[in-house]
Amino acid sequence: MTLFSQTSNSERTQLKRSVKQVQQDVLRMGTLVEQSFRLSHQCLFVRDIQAGENVIYLEKRIDRYYRQIELDCATLMTLQSPVAQDLRLLSALMQLVRDLERIGDYAQDITEMALKLVHYPPHSCMDRVEAMSEYAQLMLATSLVALADLDAKAGENIKKLDDTVDDAYEYLYDLLAHQRDVPGVVEPILLLGLIIRHLERMADHATNIGQRVSYIVTGRRK
Amino acid sequence: MAGVEFIIGLTVGLGVCVWQHYHWKKRLKKLIKSVSNQDDRSISMPPLYLLRREVDKLDWERRQAVQERDNWQRLIDRAPIGYLLVDEENQLLWCNQQARTLLKLDRWRWGEVRLLLELVRSYELDLLIERTRKSQQSQEKEWVFYFTRHASAQDEDFPSFDNQVSSKTVQAIALCGHSFPLPGRQVGVFLINRQPIVELSRSRDRTVSDLSHELKTPLTSISLVAENLLDRLQNPERRWVEQMLKETNRLTNLVQEWLELTRLEADPTKVLKYESINVHEIIDSVWQTLEPIAKKKQVTLTQIGDYSISIDGDKSRLIQVFLNLLDNALKHSPVEGEIVVSLDSDCCKLEESREDEVSSIEPQVIIDIVDSGTGFVSSDIPHVFERLYRGERSRNRKASDLSGSGLGLAIVQEIIQAHGGFIEAKNHPDLGGAWLRVKLPCDPKNPI
Repeated sequence: MTLFSQTSNSERTQLKRSVKQVQQDVLRMGTLVEQSFRLSHQCLFVRDIQAGENVIYLEKRIDRYYRQIELDCATLMTLQSPVAQDLRLLSALMQLVRDLERIGDYAQDITEMALKLVHYPPHSCMDRVEAMSEYAQLMLATSLVALADLDAKAGENIKKLDDTVDDAYEYLYDLLAHQRDVPGVVEPILLLGLIIRHLERMADHATNIGQRVSYIVTGRRK
Repeated sequence: MAGVEFIIGLTVGLGVCVWQHYHWKKRLKKLIKSVSNQDDRSISMPPLYLLRREVDKLDWERRQAVQERDNWQRLIDRAPIGYLLVDEENQLLWCNQQARTLLKLDRWRWGEVRLLLELVRSYELDLLIERTRKSQQSQEKEWVFYFTRHASAQDEDFPSFDNQVSSKTVQAIALCGHSFPLPGRQVGVFLINRQPIVELSRSRDRTVSDLSHELKTPLTSISLVAENLLDRLQNPERRWVEQMLKETNRLTNLVQEWLELTRLEADPTKVLKYESINVHEIIDSVWQTLEPIAKKKQVTLTQIGDYSISIDGDKSRLIQVFLNLLDNALKHSPVEGEIVVSLDSDCCKLEESREDEVSSIEPQVIIDIVDSGTGFVSSDIPHVFERLYRGERSRNRKASDLSGSGLGLAIVQEIIQAHGGFIEAKNHPDLGGAWLRVKLPCDPKNPI
């Protein structure tokens, strides 16, 4: 009896440790995604081309973490049969890394578009786009903090933040779409349209992360 | 009869008692001896008293140690540099006030044990700690820590879109971390704020380039005036003006090089105009310009390797690179010396993939330039690419030879880096001369 409870106890601590390890990897991946987003921002608004080159390397590393975390989660779920919050945590983390990976992908896309945009003079609505990008970064940071703190309430708060980004997207879309007498080629406007779309998607993924954190803690999906 | 039995019993009992007491005393003495570092003289005192004294002493020492530990802890807590203590599972055990300010650790509470990554989202810091633990050696690293503001749950009114623009979302602070492995696979990290230094050096560079810009115009007119004067003067005045003209030109060069360097540094990629260039041809043409000096010194150039290698690069800038490098090599070669330039393309070599560097398979060109001089002084090697740095002894030029500006290698490095390449300086193990190795990507869009 004692022997059995001891082994199960050591299994539990083993599981705890493994879960913690996975959590740590997710946070690491989060820092990389955040950095990637920041670099794409610099590339787009400060025209820092070096930053753009670094994003590609970061993206490779993010991908590696993504695959490894997914595998680790699956292994832990099958071999250690976790219950309750541990199970919710692992299954939510599996989804969450996909959100993170998507944000990283979008950051890379934005960088590529920024490199094309360098050849054109800055558009008049660049300030608004910059504010939108900063706001999306703030949302990502908020969702990562929520993940670190396992804060159930954060999900709702981030959703409110997301509304602001959606409004900004609508506003900028109208501004770009209803522009008349465009001088020269339309590429910069096209690129800006795609960029704000990407930013809006990134904010959505950040919102998802917040919601998944709420699910981990409360077990309720919204 | 009963009396005799009683006495025998009593004697045996007493004997056992005495024997036990004796043994107990002996053990006690041994124990005292083992904990006490005093001489044997006082051991004749009653053991219980000795024990009491030892316990008191140990207690006093313990309190002393606690006091000392508290003092150290308080000192470190208020130290002007940051300190973090991380356990083997990367959990933050303790950090001081400065670390809290530098890393914006406002969510950490005293005595709380949490994953460091939950509190500080810095990949670099995490990597530094992991490396220290793995290698069990102290490490040093400089990086820029970015802190992105987040909306805290307590805030009732969220940052709105408009006031968002006014307050900065992302803050940057340049840090230098020194990490040390501790027993139990713990790691201690000292953090130094480099931000003031970074800002200071930036403002210094700006000042110097502003100053250079201001110096340019008067210098040009001075040299014009001097040139005009030359035709109207006889010796000895003519010689003085010649000297003046030479020095003025030197100053003009210095100013121009500095401005060029600043421009390259500020926006490296914008300044470059890319075209396809044959490396061998460039080196050849550079050598032709240097030929007169080389002939005087009877120095020969040997080129080995693949002559067909060509890369995408800025022609005039690369000419300057090889001019500076070969000119240096020429200056430091002895009479009848030899300069060896070897070209090698490295198209399919896999760079060793380290943990923080993604393996690169980008094709690159490696150009080695080795002179037959005495080489660098080893203490100079880390500084040779610094602006205005001059080697201490052997590579220091004689007063008559002071023609360089001290910016040559700095410019070389700046140009190479703008091309996405890399340059390193060392001494050749066999030939003994200075060895400069330039690595350039064949396609500059894929930097090494």
